[in-house]
Amino acid sequence: MTGAVVELWVNGEPVRAAADGAEFLAEFLRERLGLVGTKLGCGIGVCGLCTVWMDGRLVSSCLVPVAVAAGRQVWTVEGLVALAEGRVHNPPPGLPRPELVRAVHRAFVQCEGLQCGICTAGQVWAVCALLSEEPVPPEGRVREFLAGNLCRCTGYQGILRAVQQASEEWAQRAAP
Amino acid sequence: MRPLEYVTPHSLAEALERLAGSDPSETVVWGGGTALGPLLRRGLVRPRVLLGLERVAGLQDLSLAEDGLRVGALVRLADLSRSPVVRGSLPLLAEAAGRVGNVRVRNAATLGGHLAHADPAQDLPPVLLALDAQVRLESVRGTRTLPLERFLVGPLQTARADDELLTEVWVPAAAFGRRTAYVRFTPRSSQDYPTVGVAASLRVDADGVCREARVAVGGAAPTALRVPAAEAALVGGRLTRERCRDAAAQVESAVDPWDDTRGSARYKRAMARVWTERVLEDLASEA
Repeated sequence: MTGAVVELWVNGEPVRAAADGAEFLAEFLRERLGLVGTKLGCGIGVCGLCTVWMDGRLVSSCLVPVAVAAGRQVWTVEGLVALAEGRVHNPPPGLPRPELVRAVHRAFVQCEGLQCGICTAGQVWAVCALLSEEPVPPEGRVREFLAGNLCRCTGYQGILRAVQQASEEWAQRAAP
Repeated sequence: MRPLEYVTPHSLAEALERLAGSDPSETVVWGGGTALGPLLRRGLVRPRVLLGLERVAGLQDLSLAEDGLRVGALVRLADLSRSPVVRGSLPLLAEAAGRVGNVRVRNAATLGGHLAHADPAQDLPPVLLALDAQVRLESVRGTRTLPLERFLVGPLQTARADDELLTEVWVPAAAFGRRTAYVRFTPRSSQDYPTVGVAASLRVDADGVCREARVAVGGAAPTALRVPAAEAALVGGRLTRERCRDAAAQVESAVDPWDDTRGSARYKRAMARVWTERVLEDLASEA
């Protein structure tokens, strides 16, 4: 039954769009809403390309049927950019702090934490979530946390350096 | 595509009635979607209704009482791994839940969904077998409690009837305070299902004599498997290297693995032995 209208919140804005209930959130964001920062990779929740924030937690949007996402708060990397740029006025609790997103962004650029870029949105979400939870994670924890975000270019050393740099910067700001 | 409706009953009674009155190929229970999602995407299951349990009161509760720990079926693995109650009473369960899949999987996947999916290589079935867990199944017909080993029937097969809902996992207090360990052997990727997983829990008295033992393996048989012969090899004496080796040999003969991308049957059988021996020797050396 194509053409059913689905209502949810995406990046803080109410969205009403035609969708098939059996469609998944990743395709809905990309194809119906044009939010192509979220990529689609493995389709089984393993690779992390389609990572989004939904009702307070990171999830794989490839595994969320649009029918299940209805009525929920979803944030994509485009929303994360708006947050970093100070364009979001009442962010829901649990989203990363804008200063943290800026620190992670800078660190990814300066440490060459990306090559082709297809995994970057998911990596940035994961790093923001990790550093929100634990500002100075031991390296083992970083590796374990990021194991669910595959970099097809195998550019992991740059990503690990970026996490280190963002963590140092964030810990300094977070300290009183 | 077929229409898909997400239905979220507000009470257990309503959920059970909905389940009782529906065709199992049309209505499927939705926990976090990490197991069902891939099957839906590939059209391997084609329901018209997803029965979401997130609004049913009580299914997300965790409670510690004199008789043990109760975990509601809708408790997410991430919450299980972080819960101070679980970390205090059953640190092995918290630790193992924190290592399933990846962070997004743990954020979504529920304990009930994890067990109801019944993939033989999952992590928590062997861990919960080693902790004597029981599952509670409810339907409009009534409630029954089954030991986990009777719930797990085969690959993706459980003893749950079509109208039943797995509502709770109970670990009896008798399983608290044992020496416990779980190893997941993942030669490919740390977020993969393990090639084999080995869980053990032991009660050792002050003289170093093993009084109680549970040994369970995942990934090496049609279901996660407890190995009573290995347990018998450990109980009644000190945990010597010989005893650990005998127990590991019992595991090797009990398992019944098959060839797949995580290893050949022969390799998995050998790895089940090797990792059992290592897990037991580690537990033996704990003071």
